[in-house]
Amino acid sequence: MSSTIANLIDNVEIQRKKRQTSQIFTVVALIVLVAWSVQVTVVADTDWERIGTFSQILESVGRFIAIDFEVIPHLGVPILETFMMATLGTILGLFTSLPVAWFGAANVTPSMTFFYPLGRFLMTLSRSIHEIVWALIFVAAVGLGALPGILAIAMRSVGFISKITADAIENIDRKPVEAIRAMGGSNFQVMYFGIIPQILPIVIGTIIFEWDINIRRSAIMGLVGAGGLGLTFFRQLSMYNYAGVTTVILAILSLVIFGEIVSHFVRKKLV
Amino acid sequence: MNTVKNLTWSRYKYPDSIYSFGAILLALVFLGYSIEFLGIDLSRLPSLFGRIADTLSNRYYPADLEYITDTDYLSSVLESIQMAYLGALFGMLIAIPLAWFASYNVTISRRAAYPIARLAIMWSRSVHEMIWAIIFVTILGFGMLPGVFALIMFCIGFAGKLFAEEIEAIDMGPVEAMQSTGASPIQVMMYAVLPQVRVAWTGIAIYTWDVAFRAATVVGFFGAGGMGWYLKRNVQQLETERVAAIMLSIIALVVVSEGISAWARHRVAKAKKPEVQDEHSEEV
Repeated sequence: MSSTIANLIDNVEIQRKKRQTSQIFTVVALIVLVAWSVQVTVVADTDWERIGTFSQILESVGRFIAIDFEVIPHLGVPILETFMMATLGTILGLFTSLPVAWFGAANVTPSMTFFYPLGRFLMTLSRSIHEIVWALIFVAAVGLGALPGILAIAMRSVGFISKITADAIENIDRKPVEAIRAMGGSNFQVMYFGIIPQILPIVIGTIIFEWDINIRRSAIMGLVGAGGLGLTFFRQLSMYNYAGVTTVILAILSLVIFGEIVSHFVRKKLV
Repeated sequence: MNTVKNLTWSRYKYPDSIYSFGAILLALVFLGYSIEFLGIDLSRLPSLFGRIADTLSNRYYPADLEYITDTDYLSSVLESIQMAYLGALFGMLIAIPLAWFASYNVTISRRAAYPIARLAIMWSRSVHEMIWAIIFVTILGFGMLPGVFALIMFCIGFAGKLFAEEIEAIDMGPVEAMQSTGASPIQVMMYAVLPQVRVAWTGIAIYTWDVAFRAATVVGFFGAGGMGWYLKRNVQQLETERVAAIMLSIIALVVVSEGISAWARHRVAKAKKPEVQDEHSEEV
């Protein structure tokens, strides 16, 4: 009896030792990776003379700490543009994501072998590509202006909206759907009265969340030629007007905070 | 039986139907006004897809795959991975104390630390990673260091928010038990909070690395190191076939990293407790 208990204790100790060794190994590996990355990125690649002393860094930071009041009157139109680009992009993204969600939801997809993987692939593709890359593609294709920004935001939003929508469709309660079928409802009626009311709160919450993020995204679309606050930011930077840059960033910040507040209250009320 | 036929179904009853109609009308008016304001030429829209397809097939189509197998380019891919690693790691190290202060239930001071930490997280979240990259490039010059700083700022906002949400959802029982025995805030954090959020945080950490890598592929666009610089250079030189190749490589790398992170998060969630949700797996 006592020997089995001793065995058990031994076993526990061996297990604990094993876990400790693996933990130590993980930590060492992490530290080695950090050291290597720091060596490559920070030590070898940095032009320390360009950066200069600490006080010089503080000086270059200090140039940003000011507000250029002359820029403020010119911010109204870009702010409105950014806001509209985000809104239109979200709406377009919503309409584009409806078929994708339909393809990618296992219980309503027209074909499990072809459309389901296609829908899931489109979702991943849309989320993998950074909004800057999407914007570059659309600026090259449709030229400068607000349109490529809207398209880029729409494409970037499709993945998230359609993934959440497809997951919501997969998790619906089948009973209302069957009840409507039993009453003789058509396919359209099944969708309109059976599926949509069930997924609507989730979808609306997701859209508002995405809209909130899209404001942030549309604020940088101007960096690659798609209008809005990003363009103003880029102009101020090109003129080395650092106070103006800070002013534009503050404008972006207030727009984003406005979006966050609206999204918070609307989601609280609807969901 | 006849009654079934005569039923007219309607989702909204009388006053609600007016409200929903009004909301749709308002949205349409806003839509029309925005299209007018932004100067979008609607008559060009029908031919849009044709033109996009034309541009892509004429100028981007045979992607210059040799360009992306070049050693210089491959080393820039490695740089991006290292930047994402460092940025995510240090960003999360800063995000952990911030998340602690920014969660209302365990913060050390609800009047001072809580709003300051909230504001810090919100500030770094609101400014897009590209803008952080530009600011750090103007301060520190070109190179990977500003890229790492931009990613740190990005990860503070991203991970800090998710970490804090996780802390706010914990069971307060152990926390109160420890506080009643006179434990210090650090002890409460170490022994009552961390064990409860550890698994969820591991998932968030893996996801943060994934998202940071996605951002690291493009911060170089404004001179902050990594493969984004190659993208910028070729876009400006109108080397569209090389741009196509770079974009393909970015997509491939991101899909691979997303696959790895989904697999790792799944394993973490399965290995530990069943209560872990994989659901904030989503966006920024």
